[in-house]
Amino acid sequence: MSEAISYIWLGVLAVFEAPALFSLAGIGIPAPLVMLLCGLLTGIAVGATPGLAGPMAMAVSLPILISVFGVSADALLPVFAFLIGIMKGATVGGAVPAILFNTPGTPDAFMTTLDGHPMTLRGTPERALKIAHFSSVSGDTVSDIVLFVCAPFLAVMVESVLDLPEKTALIILSLSFIAAVMGASVAKGLISVSLGMVSAYVATGQGFHPRLTMGVEALSDGFPLIAAVLGVLILGEVFKSIFDMWRGIRRKRAEDHNADLAPDGLRPGDIRRILPHIGRSSLIGCMVGALPGVGSTLAATLGHSLGKRRHETRKGPTDKSFGEGIPEGIAATEAANSAVSGANLIPVLSLGIPGNAAAVFLILAADSIGGFNPGPSVFNFAAPEINPELVVAFGIFTLMALGNLLNWTIGGIFMRSMGVMARVPNRILLPVVLLVTLTAIYVQETSLAALWVAIGFGVLGFFFRVLEISVLPFVIAFILAGSLENTARQAFSASGGDPFFLFRSPVACGMLAAAVILVVLLARKK
Amino acid sequence: MEFLRKPNAMLGLLAVVLGILALAVWVPADTGSGLVEKARGKYRIGDALAPAVAFSLLIFSGLLLLWETRSKPAQQLITRHHLVFTGGLLLIFALSLAAMRWTGPMAVALLGAGGEGAGYRELRDTVPWKYLGFALGGSSLVGAFICLASRKLRLRFFLIGLAAALAMILLYDLPFDDLLLPPNGDV
Repeated sequence: MSEAISYIWLGVLAVFEAPALFSLAGIGIPAPLVMLLCGLLTGIAVGATPGLAGPMAMAVSLPILISVFGVSADALLPVFAFLIGIMKGATVGGAVPAILFNTPGTPDAFMTTLDGHPMTLRGTPERALKIAHFSSVSGDTVSDIVLFVCAPFLAVMVESVLDLPEKTALIILSLSFIAAVMGASVAKGLISVSLGMVSAYVATGQGFHPRLTMGVEALSDGFPLIAAVLGVLILGEVFKSIFDMWRGIRRKRAEDHNADLAPDGLRPGDIRRILPHIGRSSLIGCMVGALPGVGSTLAATLGHSLGKRRHETRKGPTDKSFGEGIPEGIAATEAANSAVSGANLIPVLSLGIPGNAAAVFLILAADSIGGFNPGPSVFNFAAPEINPELVVAFGIFTLMALGNLLNWTIGGIFMRSMGVMARVPNRILLPVVLLVTLTAIYVQETSLAALWVAIGFGVLGFFFRVLEISVLPFVIAFILAGSLENTARQAFSASGGDPFFLFRSPVACGMLAAAVILVVLLARKK
Repeated sequence: MEFLRKPNAMLGLLAVVLGILALAVWVPADTGSGLVEKARGKYRIGDALAPAVAFSLLIFSGLLLLWETRSKPAQQLITRHHLVFTGGLLLIFALSLAAMRWTGPMAVALLGAGGEGAGYRELRDTVPWKYLGFALGGSSLVGAFICLASRKLRLRFFLIGLAAALAMILLYDLPFDDLLLPPNGDV
């Protein structure tokens, strides 16, 4: 216990005693704090802009951050601070265009439009935005507390219980789970995983022959990670949005509502009436977020549906229902989708398995800088000397707590001033995002070939979206495929070449059985 | 076999065929070692095993998609519009990346900048030469995509692209000496 407290303290010190970026009234302001604030404001602005998303801002900023802070161990916390700030800010900012202009930037923000935009049409946009901010930051805070408590315990348990065969089986189970729960079809999720694995295996391996390259010299180093991930995740999304604009596919607008004669802003009793919804939706968000790949859309939908059911049983005959512009509807949705963000880091920090796009970028940053490999080995409290990775982990937790503090204080004010971002037309914004993303890739890879790789993966991501195949299983499989192969190789060698090495351990057998059962059950259900 | 005409069924079939072809031809021909190999008296996993597992999963996914599609209504997924759009975007990328790559070297060659024997490589860290390709290629890329999304051809769309390219220069190149904008890492 005393080791844990020492490490928590070291993590706090790592943030506050980091090199100062500048001085204010003679006091040095540590770089991680400055970057956290910058990231948070950037994230809110990005979240408030329909068509942009947190991962896009992370992609663009990563090469700049690495150029500014370098690739030494000191760079880890400032870089993570900016990325965490974006993650938190984008979660809060997403409600702005949904409420003010009925233009959800993300699928989960669609549920916010149902009650948020009618409130705007009735002349109470500020009240709706304040409810959204309070609910979103509450959900995020609960989620972070769950992360701080669960991730270290889960990691310690995993490290003590799981050996190489079990770790191999755990990756297989995670990939099956992500494939099964994401998207409308289990089969399409598995196609996404298998293609992600195939792409990752090009030109890797242990032999001298670069496998699966078909003799193409340009492929002899494999696909650059950053180009492949940004291509599928961001370029694919931009291509699909431009295609929709080209074809004239538009979202429908909300109908007019009667004006609310009461003044705008929070009213007495607002917080009391939304608290039960925030509590319920935060728990839903945490549970959904802890599962890799499930995402905030399901949490928002579940939070809204359960909140609606509860509200219908309790409301009076003259009270409005969900969907007619009530604070409870916004609270149930925003708390649920924001509670996903912290909990989503549980699998990446405790198991090394990224559960969402933001976690993918944290892994990319860790991979680029070095000195921190997210996974169960990070939480080694028993190391004879100070474990630097554990200090970084607690530094990340400190930054997340500080991010919440900033979100509670200045986040709301900044969020409400960001309505102007939703007025930037997507037909201009998205091509600019395209150039920014390609420039970010080039700056890291310094090769036009890498841009073509990204464009190729972007076209793949475009067709995935057209064919309703989820792209996140592809990205996560691309990242985990190397670990899966290496762990399996080590487990096989350690077993003395036993072909049934995965089936000798009851835990590994249980995980493999769970993977099969999950796929079969969800395939039947969907 | 009517259901095989559904787009999802065709996708499933394609996955099965590609998986079988890869397992039968591509993986054996393009990997340095087999599924398992013996080295220094010990068995170890060869380079072919992981791709074989991935392609087997692709075959299984295809079969599962065929099974899932049986009871679902047909829906149009890929149309000729998607293919035309893809062709168009690849053309825009080809032209704008070519402009990005060759504008600087061509300008240096035509104007004879840098003196006798000097090429773009010698001037790639010099203003304005190092920005020419990025500015022209970037503005044409952004402008062409705005035209595509708006279905209109306007000069101001390309000026927006130029502004975006200049913003990228301000963001990446001016403050950081070690970051290279396209195409300066390739020449």
